[in-house]
Parts: sequence; C-alpha cells; structure tokens
Amino acid sequence: MTQTHDLTLGDQRQGFVDRIRTTLARRTEGRALALLLVVSLITWIQEPVAFTSWSVTLGRIALIGLVALGLTVVILMGELDLSVASTLAVCGVVMASIDNLALGIVAALAAGLLIGAINAFFVVVVGLNSFIATLGMLFFLRGLAFVISDEEPVRLANVDAGISFGKPLIGDFTPRILLFILVFIAIQVFVTRVRSGREMYAVGGNRQAARDAGIPVTRRIFTGFMISGFVAAGAGVINALERTAADPTAGSTVLLQSFAAAIIGGIALTGGRGSVLGTLLGAASLGILQVALTLSGVQVDVQNIIIGLVLLLAVITDPASLRAVMASTKSFFAARATPAQGG
Amino acid sequence: MSDETTTQTAGATAVATPPVGEIDAATRPDEGRQLNPLVWLADRGIFVFTTILILVAAVLVDGFWSVDNATDVFNRAAPIGIVAAAMTFVVISGNYLDLSVVAQVATAAVILIAISNDRSVLVAMLLASLVALIYGVVNGVAVGVFKANAVIVTLATTFIGLGILRWASGGSIYFSEVDAIRDFGTTELGSVPLSMLVFVAITLILAFVLDRTTFGFSVRAFGSNADATRLAGVGTAWIVIGAFVISALGAMIGGFVLAAFSQTAVSSMSDGFEFRALAAIIVGGTSVFGGKGSVLRTLLGVVFVSVLTNVMVLSGWGFGAQQMAIGALILLAVSVDALARRVTGR
Repeated sequence: MTQTHDLTLGDQRQGFVDRIRTTLARRTEGRALALLLVVSLITWIQEPVAFTSWSVTLGRIALIGLVALGLTVVILMGELDLSVASTLAVCGVVMASIDNLALGIVAALAAGLLIGAINAFFVVVVGLNSFIATLGMLFFLRGLAFVISDEEPVRLANVDAGISFGKPLIGDFTPRILLFILVFIAIQVFVTRVRSGREMYAVGGNRQAARDAGIPVTRRIFTGFMISGFVAAGAGVINALERTAADPTAGSTVLLQSFAAAIIGGIALTGGRGSVLGTLLGAASLGILQVALTLSGVQVDVQNIIIGLVLLLAVITDPASLRAVMASTKSFFAARATPAQGG
Repeated sequence: MSDETTTQTAGATAVATPPVGEIDAATRPDEGRQLNPLVWLADRGIFVFTTILILVAAVLVDGFWSVDNATDVFNRAAPIGIVAAAMTFVVISGNYLDLSVVAQVATAAVILIAISNDRSVLVAMLLASLVALIYGVVNGVAVGVFKANAVIVTLATTFIGLGILRWASGGSIYFSEVDAIRDFGTTELGSVPLSMLVFVAITLILAFVLDRTTFGFSVRAFGSNADATRLAGVGTAWIVIGAFVISALGAMIGGFVLAAFSQTAVSSMSDGFEFRALAAIIVGGTSVFGGKGSVLRTLLGVVFVSVLTNVMVLSGWGFGAQQMAIGALILLAVSVDALARRVTGR
C-alpha cells in the first residue's frame, strides 16, 4: 500500500509519461508533493523570508500538522474523527483548570484518551457511522468546554512554565516543533513497522476480510480513535501552554486545517490507502502557504477561503473520485455515440 | 412511502414503519417487531417525547405556558425549521448532512439586509437565490458527480462561504432600514408570527415534493440503495444535485426569515444552525443512513428541539450546557436509530 513497487519489465516499455502516471497512482503523496513544490516555489520567489525564518514556518506546520497526524490513523481505518477540534478545546480547558501543571497535563491527556474511547464505542458497539457520531461529539464537547471554562478563557496558574515552553529548546526548535517531529516518527513507525499499526490498513481496506483474517477489528478501532483523541489532547495542552491560557473556542479552524492536511496528503477517505508521510507533506504545504499569505498581508478570512478551496479540490481530485467522473463521462458519451455509429 | 406519512399524521395504530424496500412489509407477520421497544422508540418515540416535554414544561417551568413565550418559540423555530425541512432531502438521499447551511443562512441574511438597504428587496432576493444555487450546485456536483464525502465537501464550502462573507462584510452588523422587511418580521396572526406560517407552508410543499413526485421518490430510492437506483437508469448525479439545491434554497429562506425577525444581519448569526437542524431531522425519526424519513417528521423534530431549547433558556441554562444537550440529543437519537436498525436486520 505504501511501499514503492519496483517497476517490472512490462512497465519499461511504457513511455515516460505513463511511468510517471503509474508511480503517482501507486504512491498516495503525489498531490501533496505537487502542492508543496508549487507553494514552495511561489513562496520562494514572493516571500523568501518564510524560508529564512525557519522556526516560524516550522511552528506553523507543527500547529496544523499535529492534530492531522492523529486523524491520519483514524482515516486509514476508513473512519472520520470530526471531534478533534473540540477535543483540543476541552483538553486545553481541563489542563488550565487544574492548578498543578503536571497533574493538569496528565488529566488532559487522559481526557483525550477517554474521548477517543467514547467515539470508538459509538462506532463499534452502537454501530453508528463515525461521521455522525463524532459530529455529535463535536457539538457536545464544544459545549462541555464552555461549561468547564464558564465561557471565558482560563488562565494558566503557572504562567512561567507556559512562557518557557514557547522558547526554542534545541537550536531554533521550540518544544512544539520537537513534539510534532516525535509524534510523526512514532505514528510513522507504528503504521509501517508495528504489526497492530499495519493492521490499521487492513481494517480500512476491507473490514470483513480483516475480521476473517483474525485481526481484532474492534480493538484496532478503539486504538485508532484513542490515538486521535490523545494527539488532539496533546495539541490542546501545547496550545494552552504557548498561549498561557486555554480558550474554549480554540480550534475552530483546526478542524478545517487538519482535515485539509490529511486529505491533501492523499489518504483515501474510504480507508486502507495513504501514508503518514503524506499528511506531513500536506501539513508542510499548508503551513508554508499560510506563512506566505500572512507575510503578504492576506487576512485570516481570505486564508480560510484558500484553505477551504484547497480542501475542496483535494477531496474531488481523489483518485477514486476522478475514476468515478471518468467512468460517468465515458458512459455519457458512449450512450450518445452508439446510435450515431449504428446509423 | 406515501402510506408512511398517512399513518404518521393520522397517528394510526399500524406497527413499526417497514424499512423502505420492503414494500409488502405491511402484509407480513409483525409480531417480532411489535414487541421491540427500540424499534418502537425509533419510529414513534418523537410523538411521546414531544408531548411529555411540553406537558412537563407547562407544569414545571415558569413562564413557559404563556402566549408571549409561544410566539417566541415560533419565531425562533421558523428559521431553523425551514433549514431543517429542506436539509431533510440531503439526509434522506443518504448524504448525511449539509454542514454549509451555517454559511448559507448567514450569507442570505446579510445579502437581504445589506442589498435591500442600498437597492431593493427584489434585487437582494435575486442575488441571494443566485448564491444559493451556486452553493447547491457546488456541493451537489462535488458529492454527486465526483462521489466525494458530503461531510468533507460541505466542511470545505462552509469555510469558503464564511470566509467570503466575513471578507466581504468585514464582520460588520447590518441594520435593516426597509419597512417591508420589518413588517414581515413583526406581523403576527393572533400569537403566530408570519414566519411560522411560511415554515408550515414550506414544510407542506417539501412534503409533497418528497412523497408525491418522481424526484422525491428518486431521492428516497437513492438513499435506500444508491447502486440499485443507478442501475435502474435514474440519473443519480441529478438527484444529489437536486437535494443539495433544495437544501440551499431552504437555507436561503431560513436566512431571510432570520434576518426579518432580528432586523439585523451579521456573519456569525447562524452559528450552530447546522447542528440544530440535524438534531431536529434525526430526532424526528429520519435516518442518517438514508432512505427512511419524511419532512413532516422533521416538523415534529423542530417542535421538539425548539421547545427543548426554550425550556433550557427559561431554566437559565448557559450557552455551553445547551450545546451539550443538543449534542447528546443527536448522539442519543442516532444511537436509537442504529440499534433499532440492527434489530430489524437492515
């Protein structure tokens, strides 16, 4: 699914364009890579500052990408987790409401795991469609964040810890960037090298076949949603620390950005295809795009329009979507061509 | 399908509505289903719960049982109800929901107020209709032709639409200076505002379209079994586009009514509309799995959700608590539907 396949003899007879097409069809990161190249090129010409101030750009990529990494695991299983943005808000508020910093972080992460387990419960045990289940959770958790925080931002008790958290730790890297890289490596290793992680692909590709092959599908789905909840909670903690306060309305654009990063990254929403690397490339292209737009003085509203357009384009240029369009176009013309040939 | 509506409205004694596709289910022995409380709850629960809710509220909640409060409930129910009634088409067609109604309602409201102040109400409505058509066609083509996931597509169009609206309006609040709009928003027949009559009229028209026209049958058929509908030679892309266009037009009218009621328009005025509308549709008994449901059921769902919201407001619940309750309601209603579906084996 994600491995590159060596070209066979048959492929060598094809033209150059065909070979590129074959490779692009096998790898799922094609669109993310193309977008990244285009965005980088334009940014390099228009706003080269985005590349010289690496820490800013990387910080932005980490901000967009972290939640998307957890989401990737869920989408690989053919499910969606729309509750990530609200999970981020709730867990940030939970952390800030507890005076002891360490205890707060632990409680927030535990809350993320619990939310993931509840999502998985609705999907596996009740048998709900994950879109609808996590949509209900999205609304429920957003309300919960308001209730816990009393509808206003909660200030951290330990502001110093928050301030030091925002400072570079190693070289130009802030803890946020380091944690992002760490989570990327962990999830990448998990889904490509660890058996239970590899089984996520099987669960997404063909759930019945996975079950028949003896894969504990229920447990894998719980794992997937809990990873997503945990990572979203982590992002909530990081956000609250960097801003030294937890905002219950946090993460309204997180939902858009994380889905955009994952889907541009080439994960099939039907599950079973895609890679964590693709999500990283998707997040990188969005991050560079945002930094470049901000540097050129483009408003946040317009940035949202552009990211929304990118997401819309990404979801309709999915290989499966394009195949559907090609098939219907062909049958459309075939239906009209046949009588002409007969006559 | 048509007999389903008649049994609901007449409150007949017939047992659980058969899943669509089992045309001869009425003639089958129904003992197994008759006894299952879950199936009964998924199908008939809304009647009981709405009645209980209203009775309990009338007894326990101060200020609920008054003419003024009833008018207030109607005023607030009408815009959401119109949105929900139209969005029912998208849900029945098996495409989950149209998240972008939140952007559509606000856009229509802002266009109505802003343009009618400068030009005329007619120009504003024409422009809003054009925008609604664009929304419906873009969503419908992406979902129907490109077979993209409806939730993701409408999530993207929500941000595109809200972004454009905020960018164009600068996030400012528009106050209406047009008499016609104020008259519409304040006219009441007895204690029933005009907007409520618009809502009921639209519900009846949409119920007719869904239950009595070929398009309506196609939408339902597509929601129950998309492949079979396609193989039957129905243009499935047109069904999906049609459903999203109806949803968009409903959202537009909902936006008009909302703007007329509040006399103002701002890009954030419709926050949460998509969830309240979805809650009303699902609580009414329309299935998110597609195929099963009706516009009249959505009307009941709207009554339930509106009364519940009103009771929460009167009881002093905060904004967050209200959101939690609506979220929990959505989860509960879809869970009951999913479990009942498992019992009936479909």
